[in-house]
Amino acid sequence: MSMQREEKALDAALDAFSQRLNDLKQSIGQTLQKLEAGHEHMSWPSLLDSFALLSGQLNNLLRVLKNEKTPLLRNRVTLPLLLSPERDEQLVRLTEGRVPAFAHDLVPHYLRTKHDPMVEERLQMVESKAASISADAAQKQVTAMNKVVNNLLDTIQQSREDWESESARAQLSQTSSVADTQQLIAAIGTVPQVNKAPSSIKTNIKANIQTHPYK
Amino acid sequence: MCAAISAQEKLQAAMQHKIVPNQEYLLQGSVLDSSKDVLIHRLRGLADNVDEQVETFQDRERVLTLGPVSGQTLTLYVRQAMDVRPGMDQSDTPWTMRYIGQPELGDKSRPTVLRNSIDVGCTPNVLEFLSEMGFKQDYEFMCKGLMFRKGRMKILVYKVYKNKTADNWEPLSMSHVVELSVLAPQGHDAVAEDVRNFAEQLKPLVQLEKTDYRRL
Repeated sequence: MSMQREEKALDAALDAFSQRLNDLKQSIGQTLQKLEAGHEHMSWPSLLDSFALLSGQLNNLLRVLKNEKTPLLRNRVTLPLLLSPERDEQLVRLTEGRVPAFAHDLVPHYLRTKHDPMVEERLQMVESKAASISADAAQKQVTAMNKVVNNLLDTIQQSREDWESESARAQLSQTSSVADTQQLIAAIGTVPQVNKAPSSIKTNIKANIQTHPYK
Repeated sequence: MCAAISAQEKLQAAMQHKIVPNQEYLLQGSVLDSSKDVLIHRLRGLADNVDEQVETFQDRERVLTLGPVSGQTLTLYVRQAMDVRPGMDQSDTPWTMRYIGQPELGDKSRPTVLRNSIDVGCTPNVLEFLSEMGFKQDYEFMCKGLMFRKGRMKILVYKVYKNKTADNWEPLSMSHVVELSVLAPQGHDAVAEDVRNFAEQLKPLVQLEKTDYRRL
């Protein structure tokens, strides 16, 4: 019974997971298309929108992965049962033409659970270097780093405040004057003689125009 | 004569079917000379004629009145282009005559001023013609500036000059007039929204508003 429940949970999790992955894949596709087809006319906001979407979808993916109800996927083993150098049409269709055959040279890449040996080696190097420093010295370095970063942050925030108050002041500075507007509009004289009744000629024109939308 | 009658009939029919674009949706404002370049820059970005050179104009505008006949005055605006283009004689420059009706402010829900506006092209002897009809020149002024287009909208930014003596034109105020207008047939009130939206994009640089002429 518990086995069955676990199976169900796994199925649901995988479904949710593949759905999110598909969303992500589509968005990446759209972004790439946007970059390739429209890069001449593309605006920053539109590119930033695309990236925001990608980042949001990645977060969704991670949330599904970390969800309590998701069974621990690392406890599962994926095992290739049959390798074949022959072209597999169904596989081609499933992978949208990316993987033509479930063959020996490709499978290790697709089913890999560890990093590339080269990456692993570099990671190892960094980790051993980090381990070689004493905890005390490391703590000191962290403190120094924090100090630098905080200083930098303060400086940036200060400049931002300066800049914002400056641009706010620039916005406040006068770019138009009501008095000038009135003087100019009065001068160009598109002001009909309001006190006088419309002339007979005007009345004629009005009669031709028929009903006025405001009346 | 027959042709003339049929032309008039056609005009009548056009009026009746409300296809004559004689309604002007208008917002007006001004920009200080010091900020004019910023506005021009923004308009170049917003308007349609981005790639082309911005159209300039220099018009001399005469305001003529007839009457008062039994307490009524008719005003017409006669405009003469002063910017002679290459290959053109001063006598070849276009003349237009304009009739402008009573502006309707409407209530707050109306985004723009609405007024009748009829522009017609004329021959250079229009002044003589009007003078024969009894029109008298009231005053005149010069407009010099730039024109932008955005869809059906027309955006004008120009300086107004007044003359004390015949050929001594002096700029009026330290600002440029900014006008945003659309000519449309009757009942096309939706375009007024476009005008308002465009005006919003020019804030706070320019405050384009419905001018209340009674308060001037």
